[in-house]
Amino acid sequence: MNDNSFLEVRDLKKYFPPRESFLGKTTNPVRAVDGISFGLEEGETLGIVGESGSGKSTAARALLQLDPPTSGTVHFKGHNLTSLPEAELRSLRKEMQIIFQDPFSSINPRRLIGDVLREPFAIHNLKDNVSESVKELLNQVGLSSDHAHRYPHELSGGQLQRVGIARAIALNPSLVIADEPVSALDVSVQAQVVNLMMDLREKLKISYIFISHDMGIVEYFCDRVAVMYLGKIVEISTSEEIYKAPGHPYTEALLNAVPGLDPEHTKQKLKIRGDIPDPSNPPQGCSFHTRCPLKEKQCEEMEPLLKEVSPGHHVACFLKE
Amino acid sequence: MSQIELDVRNLQVSFSTPQGIFSAVNGINFQLHSGETLALVGESGCGKTVSALSILRLLPEGTAKIVSGEIIYSGRNLLSLNSQQMREVRGKEISMIFQDPMTCLNPVLTLGEQLSETLLQHNNLNKKEALSKSAQLLGKVELSSPEEKLKQYPHQLSGGMRQRVMIAMALACKPKILIADEPTTALDVLIQAQILELLENLKKETGMAMLLITHDLGVVTEIAERVMVMYAGDEVETGPTQSLLNSPNHPYTKGLIASRPHPGLDIKNEKRLTEIAGSVPNPNQRPTGCSFHPRCNWVMEQCKTLKPISRNFNQDRQYSCHLEPGAI
Repeated sequence: MNDNSFLEVRDLKKYFPPRESFLGKTTNPVRAVDGISFGLEEGETLGIVGESGSGKSTAARALLQLDPPTSGTVHFKGHNLTSLPEAELRSLRKEMQIIFQDPFSSINPRRLIGDVLREPFAIHNLKDNVSESVKELLNQVGLSSDHAHRYPHELSGGQLQRVGIARAIALNPSLVIADEPVSALDVSVQAQVVNLMMDLREKLKISYIFISHDMGIVEYFCDRVAVMYLGKIVEISTSEEIYKAPGHPYTEALLNAVPGLDPEHTKQKLKIRGDIPDPSNPPQGCSFHTRCPLKEKQCEEMEPLLKEVSPGHHVACFLKE
Repeated sequence: MSQIELDVRNLQVSFSTPQGIFSAVNGINFQLHSGETLALVGESGCGKTVSALSILRLLPEGTAKIVSGEIIYSGRNLLSLNSQQMREVRGKEISMIFQDPMTCLNPVLTLGEQLSETLLQHNNLNKKEALSKSAQLLGKVELSSPEEKLKQYPHQLSGGMRQRVMIAMALACKPKILIADEPTTALDVLIQAQILELLENLKKETGMAMLLITHDLGVVTEIAERVMVMYAGDEVETGPTQSLLNSPNHPYTKGLIASRPHPGLDIKNEKRLTEIAGSVPNPNQRPTGCSFHPRCNWVMEQCKTLKPISRNFNQDRQYSCHLEPGAI
């Protein structure tokens, strides 16, 4: 690891403290993100997959310092984001942007599209040719400049997500985190948005962190994939490798559970029972052992660590040792 | 061919809104055979849920209106039953599960109270019998320690468990037909696989027919024998699942299949996903002629003015397009 890499996340943790409910009960602290580490190279796309509650979105927000992490470091282009003063962090935010899942709730319904897109420039005190830039942005995401004079409710979900993307790329970021950018969209529109993000990646040399629960799109879109379970990365590798030779039973189950159009595929081999455990009360040992069909005695007692099973392919499972 | 359980003929539903009256379902036809699973597939706003709600007459009164059509179930037209007769059908003969189990279960009643309600309504049971029957039902949907669960409230369960409770409730009176409206959309992919398997097993066991509403062609492949694709309130294409997915006759069906990345797609050679241009039209601004024509790659002059009518292809397929079979 070196500090000059593009993005280097080390042992990132985000705990939510215990709270007292109105009945006087205290909840356990929730370890939403429990020590994750990964790197990202310039121009690379990393997918983060996992079920809801696995900590994907929390990890993204902690990484961007939108929710300050509990501990750990994030090095981005030589800066340690976790110790950066507010003012410097703010100016560095031009470089790192986020696209949210639901464009209808992440774009202010009372503002014109044009104003929404002008805001990033205003925040960073960039005053030159803003109207020109806004027009250009709209064209870049496949909308017309007329859309600047419309309100969000006049646009379809797909069009509005294009606005969300335009807002994210307005200041020429080098890192864009996309948090489930297509899961709220209609099926026929999802492909359009994925294609758009792919074109922008080529054109603007953006590095993406792509959060999704859709294994199909992740395989297609990402160079590398990290699989998260209960706040931890249980497997990380190139997407080719993960889809060809998944190392962790959880990854394999996720892949098997994707309903394919091929009838031969259908019946899954690895059957997973039950739900993801409550993150405020995680199981001892390997956090997946409660659902794992292949678990052994040691899985209940000890926690497996991420180990390299082949070059660049890390798996946290005793069965792989 | 097996017996027809439910026959929907020329169903047309309109909604009146402040912006005017618009048609949500424009005269669709389909049959559900006994013991089969038929999937209604389409994007949001295509009228699939409205069609399903019409069957149970659960459309919002006042705004929605069934303009024309017949829904024949065991010799009777459900649309002409009075509300007392309809109540006997609902839950007993035909029942329904919904997308979001959290909003469909009553948060202030225990599961036991909610489950026994259906049983008491339709059967001659006392409370105690209904509760023990409820526990049996929870066991049937593979929930652990059912007796204990009867005393719990919905918030104490996870999403997947709640959906199991919904299924137990829907199956309480052994319906002939189960309508499942996006039963797994709100669930994670691993839980989705579990629920689909459960539905399939229960269907085999009880011999009921299922009308599955979904937007996910993958889910369709897993459990449906036949599919009807809908777009903007129209039926687009109907047929046996595999035959339809292998050789679609309608450009929209073809587009839906192609736009989906699925494991096994040749990533190295296909750099971009195949997209369907444009977006789903608003119900109050539907195009003239074929409602898909502004987005269609094969659009012809007649598509802009003349609405295609459903025509037969082979013995078991129908589609609504001016193109000849095999043209796309």
